[in-house]
Amino acid sequence: MNANSGGPSSKSKAGSLQPSETSFKRKRGVFQKELQHMMYGFGDDPNPLPESVALVEDIIVEYVTDLVHKAQDTGSKRGKLSVEDFLYLIRKDTPKLNRCTELLSMNEELKQARKVFESDEEKLRKVFEADEES
Amino acid sequence: MRGSLQYLPNSQLHLFCQTSCDSVAREPVGAEAERGLKKSMDPFEVAFEDVEDFLPDSPTTGPGHIDNENQFLTPSNLLTSPAPTISIGTNASIGYNEDEDEEEEEDNVDLNIRNIALRDDPDKTAKTRAILSQFTGEQMERFEFFRRSRFKKSEMRKMLLTITGMRTVSEPMVVVVSATAKMFVGDIVETARTVMTERKESGPIRPCHIREAYRRLKLEGKVPRRSVRKLF
Repeated sequence: MNANSGGPSSKSKAGSLQPSETSFKRKRGVFQKELQHMMYGFGDDPNPLPESVALVEDIIVEYVTDLVHKAQDTGSKRGKLSVEDFLYLIRKDTPKLNRCTELLSMNEELKQARKVFESDEEKLRKVFEADEES
Repeated sequence: MRGSLQYLPNSQLHLFCQTSCDSVAREPVGAEAERGLKKSMDPFEVAFEDVEDFLPDSPTTGPGHIDNENQFLTPSNLLTSPAPTISIGTNASIGYNEDEDEEEEEDNVDLNIRNIALRDDPDKTAKTRAILSQFTGEQMERFEFFRRSRFKKSEMRKMLLTITGMRTVSEPMVVVVSATAKMFVGDIVETARTVMTERKESGPIRPCHIREAYRRLKLEGKVPRRSVRKLF
C-alpha cells in the first residue's frame, strides 16, 4: 500500500462522515430508538429502515458537531461559550429560532415555578414541625 | 393540492412545529392519543380535560371531505396494526418514565403553562383545535409521536461535553441544541419525502432519499459548514 495516498483518506470513512477533530469513539445507535419515533412523527414509515436511521444519526451528530464548533468560533471572541452563540447561529432559520426562544422562556418559567414550589414546601414543613413540637 | 402525500401536509406541520414569523407555536392537545398509553402521567391527559369543554366532535369522527384531503395511502394504514404501534407507544412511555422521570414531570407542568398561554390567543387556539378535531387516528398518532419524541437529555449532554471539551454544559444549551437538532431531523425527513414524491416512490424512506435531502439542505444553507474543510 502506498503511504502517500493514505494522508487524507485515513481520516475519512468512505462515503460517510468524518469523526472531526475530536477522536472519540462514537458508539453506533446512540439515538436510535428516539430517532425512530422522531422520524415517524415527521412523516416516515412507522418502522423506518435501520440504515436510514443510522444515516440520520450520523448526519445529526455531524450537524451538532459543526454547530458547536461554529458557536465556539464566535464564542471565543467573547471568552465563554454561551447559549447566545447558538441563537446567533440559527438566526437565519426563523422556525428554529422561535422554537428555541419559546423553549428557553418556558424553561425560565419552570425554574421560577419550581423555586416558588420549593419555598412553599419548605414553609409547610416548618409549620408542620412546629406543630409536632407543640 | 398535496393530498396525495402519505403524511401530514407540510402546511399542517408548519402550524405546530415550525413557528411562523409572527407567532410562537402553542402546545396543542392530543386528546385521542391516550388510547394505548398510560394515562396517569400523560401530559396530554392533563390538557385533555380543558379541551373537552370546547371540542364539539371527537377527533375520529371528522367530516368526510377532510379525510379525503388528508387521506393516507393504504399500505401505511395496513402496516400500522394495533399491536406493534402500541408496543412502540408503551416503550416510549416506559422509556420516558424510567429514564426521564424528571422530564415527564416537566412536561406536566410544561403543558399547564402552555395551556394558560394558549388561552391568551383564542384565534390560534380555535384554529388548532379545528385542525386537531379532524385528524384521523393515524394522523393523531403520528402527531403524538412528533410531539413527544426528543433526544435524550443525558445523551445530548454527554455528546456536548465531548465536543466542547468543557467541564459542564449549561441546561439552556442542551435544550437549544436538542431542539435545533430535532427540527433539523424534521427538515431532513420532510425534504426526503418531497424527494420521494418527485421520484414517485413510496414506502419507507431510504438512505438515497436522505442523502439527496441532505444535499438540498446544504444548498439552502441550513447545514452549518465550516469553511476550513473546503481546503483540499
